[in-house]
Amino acid sequence: MDNPIVITIPSHPKYLAVVRAAALLAAEICGLGAAEAEDIKHAVDEACSNVIKYAYKCDCTRKITVKFEDTQESFQVTIEDSGNKARLEDIKIRELDEVRPGGLGIHFIKKAFHIVAFDKKKRNGNRLLLTRYKNTDEAALSK
Amino acid sequence: MKIDTAEHSDYMVVSIAGEIDMYSSPALRDTMLSMVKKNVATVIVNLKDVKYIDSSGIATFVEALKKMLAYKGKLKMAQVPDRVMEIFNFSKLDKVFDIYGSLEDAAKS
Repeated sequence: MDNPIVITIPSHPKYLAVVRAAALLAAEICGLGAAEAEDIKHAVDEACSNVIKYAYKCDCTRKITVKFEDTQESFQVTIEDSGNKARLEDIKIRELDEVRPGGLGIHFIKKAFHIVAFDKKKRNGNRLLLTRYKNTDEAALSK
Repeated sequence: MKIDTAEHSDYMVVSIAGEIDMYSSPALRDTMLSMVKKNVATVIVNLKDVKYIDSSGIATFVEALKKMLAYKGKLKMAQVPDRVMEIFNFSKLDKVFDIYGSLEDAAKS
């Protein structure tokens, strides 16, 4: 895929379908398998939903920028917003064994990507960096 | 997403088609909670035509299940597509929901 692919959507949930479609196609184009591409689609959707909920507090008038990059080693997704600062540890999460509504999104993100991190250099807003290694040996090394 | 409800003598069927995400799940929540409010004894959710479900959709079903269990109601999932089943398995919800291969099996059990 010609690098990178960048899309910007309004922070309204009705545009999440656009991000899902782009994420699925970008993952497929860079050679990931069907199941992996579905996981990527799901993870990017959950991450953008988190931006709307946590960074923008459901303000639908803001912007979310999603960048997809294909390198020899990995498929990378960067999600940027200009909302409230988020920290992974502040995002609602629950143990998978604990059955209650909410708190699952981060599990789906971590299922699809080997590295999930916020760019601490970004001053205003958030830049979430997601990396999926193509080679499982590199993925194991990243753990 | 499209939601259809059908009333039977001793259960209700909620048939969902399309994608369940942060945008569409509030409508699903309204439907599920309206059944909870009426204390419907058995709700069968037909997921045959669901193409996608995110954590907000799962949260909607978990919330409905918990509220139904409070009055001893039953929430049954039927005709779950493979990809949705994978998500249920990963979330360990396959052990929480009663899951059936067909609407008939769900209705008979």
